[in-house]
Amino acid sequence: MSFLTIEDVTYSYQGKNPVLHQVNWEIKKGEFHCLLGKSGCGKTTLLKLAAGLLQSDKGSIRLQGSEVVKPSPECGFVFQSPNLLEWKTVIDNVLLPITLKRKITEEDRRQALELLELVGLASYYDRYPLQLSGGQQSRVAIVRSLVQKPSLLFMDEPFSALDAITREELQDDLLRMCNMHNMTVLFITHDISEAVYLSDVVGVMAQGEIVYQSTVELERPRKMEMRYDSYFNEFCLTLRQVMGGEHS
Amino acid sequence: MKKMPIYSFLLLVLLLALWEMAAGTMSELVLPAPSIIWFTLLDGMKSGYFTQHIIRTALEVLLGLLFGGTLGFVIGILMGEVTFLRKLLFPYIIASQAVPKLALAPLFILWFGFGMTSKVVITALVCFFPLLESTVTAIQSSDKQKQELFRMLGATRFQTLIHLKIPAGMPGILAGLRVSAVLAVVGAVVGEFIGGSEGLGALIIASQGMMDTPLMFATLILLTVMGMILYLMITWFEKKWLKPYKKEK
Repeated sequence: MSFLTIEDVTYSYQGKNPVLHQVNWEIKKGEFHCLLGKSGCGKTTLLKLAAGLLQSDKGSIRLQGSEVVKPSPECGFVFQSPNLLEWKTVIDNVLLPITLKRKITEEDRRQALELLELVGLASYYDRYPLQLSGGQQSRVAIVRSLVQKPSLLFMDEPFSALDAITREELQDDLLRMCNMHNMTVLFITHDISEAVYLSDVVGVMAQGEIVYQSTVELERPRKMEMRYDSYFNEFCLTLRQVMGGEHS
Repeated sequence: MKKMPIYSFLLLVLLLALWEMAAGTMSELVLPAPSIIWFTLLDGMKSGYFTQHIIRTALEVLLGLLFGGTLGFVIGILMGEVTFLRKLLFPYIIASQAVPKLALAPLFILWFGFGMTSKVVITALVCFFPLLESTVTAIQSSDKQKQELFRMLGATRFQTLIHLKIPAGMPGILAGLRVSAVLAVVGAVVGEFIGGSEGLGALIIASQGMMDTPLMFATLILLTVMGMILYLMITWFEKKWLKPYKKEK
């Protein structure tokens, strides 16, 4: 039984040429899916549609069988930039989703600190975002999206502004936390090896359509060495060929 | 650059010395020497002559700033949030910006009498616009991605305003408040020029009538100090409040 279903979704901005054209996708509970594509292929639009931030022109998007019409409290969203509120401390930023619903309890604070501990930022809880490095800010943003224990997480190129090593560390952090909470994830990226390393299923988008889909046959938990074995590299090459044509 | 404050102070001493020398060659009526002004100021403070005037003007400035500022802030938020209101009111706001507000002072004295009310109204009017404008701009220019985040979190419009738009716009709003504070002193003094027997502005007019130039200078110094205190208070508040907005180690 699928968890999130995207069926024949078409979308266009202000009635112009469609950005998305009859897209179909299905995610099962607990799976990690990556959508790969070049800039402007419509992947962010698809993610926003799935999250309920945009409404599709045609087709349907269902979360556990019910139509998505507005952002669901069961879903978390991590944006391209960390998007932290500069005037709140790290812990207050993490607790923001709860602050908007009800009063913060001691238990909430304890849980937020526990999550921060998982990404090694517990001692930074009373700092302000601008006092942190880019990687630390991204970690806080991920922790914030997890604080409500969402069952589904949408991520829009959250690591694209980071250096390669920090990115790999964050990928491991993310996988660890997803595993702990048995989370379902839809992840958007333009980085091929990131997609392969993270996901169970990889899809490639081009010009508003999904042109390729494949399952990644790598064991979990993923390890750093896997990035350098031949299966991994061949997989990357296939994806690269699908994405860009061979001539480039 | 560490010694800059000392140089600034030395410049002041030099200017005062020049002034003192120049004043020796002129009538006291035209240019009183700094020493004479200083003694006038000291005498007036000791005898309590200035006290009521200072209190009066300070009260007018603070009340005017409070009313004008609050109104500017609230209407600014409404106009920033509600497109309909903004489009409806903007032509009027632009028109009223063009009116020299201080020229309305005689009218307010006519309407509200010679008491404190008219001066508070003038001061409030002068403070209103800078804060209104900075608030509207601040509310409107809040980050679109952060707004999307709040939508994702299921925040209501009011929550988005309280938790995102106002705090995010705080640097701009406080800059508007700083402008308002400086203008508030001008507003109150001009109001007192036109009508009234109390307040530092009225005292300047009175000293003109009495041809007491040292008193006039002493009053000017008091007004300058008052304006500076107000300005420094707001800058201090701004620094404290805006600390997290700035990058620091």
